[in-house]
Amino acid sequence: MQIGFIGLGVMGQAMALNLLRGGHRLALWARRPEVLQPLLEAGAVACATPAAVGRRSEVVFTMLTAGADVERVALGLDGLVEGLSAASLLVDMSTIAPEMARSLALRLGEQGIDMLDAPVSGGGQAAAAASLAIMVGGKAAVLERARPLLELLGKTIVHVGDNGAGQVAKACNQMIMVGAIQAAAEALHFAAAAGADPAKVRQALAGGSAGSRALEIMGGRMVDRDFAAGVEARLHHKDYGILMQEAHRLGVPLPVAAQVWQQLNALMAMGWGRSDTASLLRVLEASQRAAG
Amino acid sequence: MKIGFIGLGIMGRPMALNLLQAGHELTVWARRAESMQPLLDAGASGADSPAGVAGVVDLLISVVADAPDVEQVMLGEQGVASADRAGLVAVDMSTIRPAAAREIGARLLEQGVDFLDAPVSGGEVGAIAGSLSIMVGGSVAAFETARPAFECMGKNIVHVGDAGAGQVAKAANQIVTGAGVLTVAEALNFAARSGVDPAKVREALLGGFAYSKILENHGQRMLDRNFKPGFKSWMHQKDMNIVMQSAHELGMCLPVAAATAQMYNAMLGSGLGEEDSIAILKLLERLSGAED
Repeated sequence: MQIGFIGLGVMGQAMALNLLRGGHRLALWARRPEVLQPLLEAGAVACATPAAVGRRSEVVFTMLTAGADVERVALGLDGLVEGLSAASLLVDMSTIAPEMARSLALRLGEQGIDMLDAPVSGGGQAAAAASLAIMVGGKAAVLERARPLLELLGKTIVHVGDNGAGQVAKACNQMIMVGAIQAAAEALHFAAAAGADPAKVRQALAGGSAGSRALEIMGGRMVDRDFAAGVEARLHHKDYGILMQEAHRLGVPLPVAAQVWQQLNALMAMGWGRSDTASLLRVLEASQRAAG
Repeated sequence: MKIGFIGLGIMGRPMALNLLQAGHELTVWARRAESMQPLLDAGASGADSPAGVAGVVDLLISVVADAPDVEQVMLGEQGVASADRAGLVAVDMSTIRPAAAREIGARLLEQGVDFLDAPVSGGEVGAIAGSLSIMVGGSVAAFETARPAFECMGKNIVHVGDAGAGQVAKAANQIVTGAGVLTVAEALNFAARSGVDPAKVREALLGGFAYSKILENHGQRMLDRNFKPGFKSWMHQKDMNIVMQSAHELGMCLPVAAATAQMYNAMLGSGLGEEDSIAILKLLERLSGAED
């Protein structure tokens, strides 16, 4: 199939490569052309604008940072909508506000273009291994058209509901995951302060009821004091801004998420936005250092 | 002075009446015509749009709900900016995001209109008594132009700094009052659930370091179970969102404000949005096992 892909960061690179390996033809556009190189070498074609990607593609994937980026690429000047034909499909795999996903689907729908919101969980490793968890919002029939492609990217593909429902699931995912990273950081920080070896504590906990992916992976990074990203903490911070705004809009109290958000704010203030979210441990350590 | 007044709700109406009673010549506009009637009856003139008001005054004041409303009034169709009134001073006394105030001010300045952000504290009672606290951001020259009008509406009038500084002060004010209402409600609920007369506890605390205007005024209304607004919960929820989104942008940790904002979210979600913010006591009672 003719596929378009826009948004070639760490995640996007790996995902685009998996689509190529699945035997599809790939058209690309990137704001910074230098990120295209590895994919061009693997056989993809570069385009001058998102509109040009649209003209060549039956299905376009986007994997961008913010809702405004997706909006610009889809509906802005030289945007996808200027090139896509009716009955084509946009699959947005970015993490953006549910409201924005619904609004984009509505506006694209007016041009006869279908849309799925299909954010993912699993990080760079899972993107490379094609084992992402994919949470899909949109019409069931549209998902069936996209499913063979999504199966090249991920293992768990769940149709959560209508447009926006995928982003709601992703917000829930971030709430639980970053909350669990914070819990792991607090436990390991407490263990060290109480004179126990955090590595041993983590090992002991892994087999029991407190075991979690966050304790295993981010807890491991904390024990090794390896704070190089995985997923950059600034992206989790961005996601918390989205989900807390949504909670405000709905009038839903999220007391724990609100506190995790504040720890992420502190992390950003300390300049660790581009390191791993395991740096939440360093925020706790900093709040215990003698002030001065 | 010829003064224009836009937005005649709970706060705006008594503020405008105080300007009239001080002898200023007033032209008013409100989205709903019936809101204008009390002012017209008291001797004000009516206009058919914000631009219509701007055309005939030297100083224009707005008191509306949120940033999109201010934008509409100042920069929208038939807005203040469209009146071509270079030299006009426009003052917005609503509570909006500091960043939004700065942006609106900059865009008005392009039309030669000098802008002040001048949010208030003191509630309906202070608006009626002409005893509001007014926190002003913007140029000194514009502040001096508006000062005679401010003195008809408020007592404690402070020029805090440049554009946006008034809104920053107001956000800080809402951190203190938002958390203050919550802590007073917690203390009185704690007393009651411990089998002690909360009225006596309030009386005892008023003489010590826990004294605050909120303990005195809001505390009394809690004891009287007088939940009539005053200051509606949904407005405080909106203000806490301004605080938290600003903290997110700045990368700073506000743990207490974050917890407070979640309680206000819960008030909205449980149908208490139209009641006074002291109805947070009802929410605490429910969470402490009281029957509704």
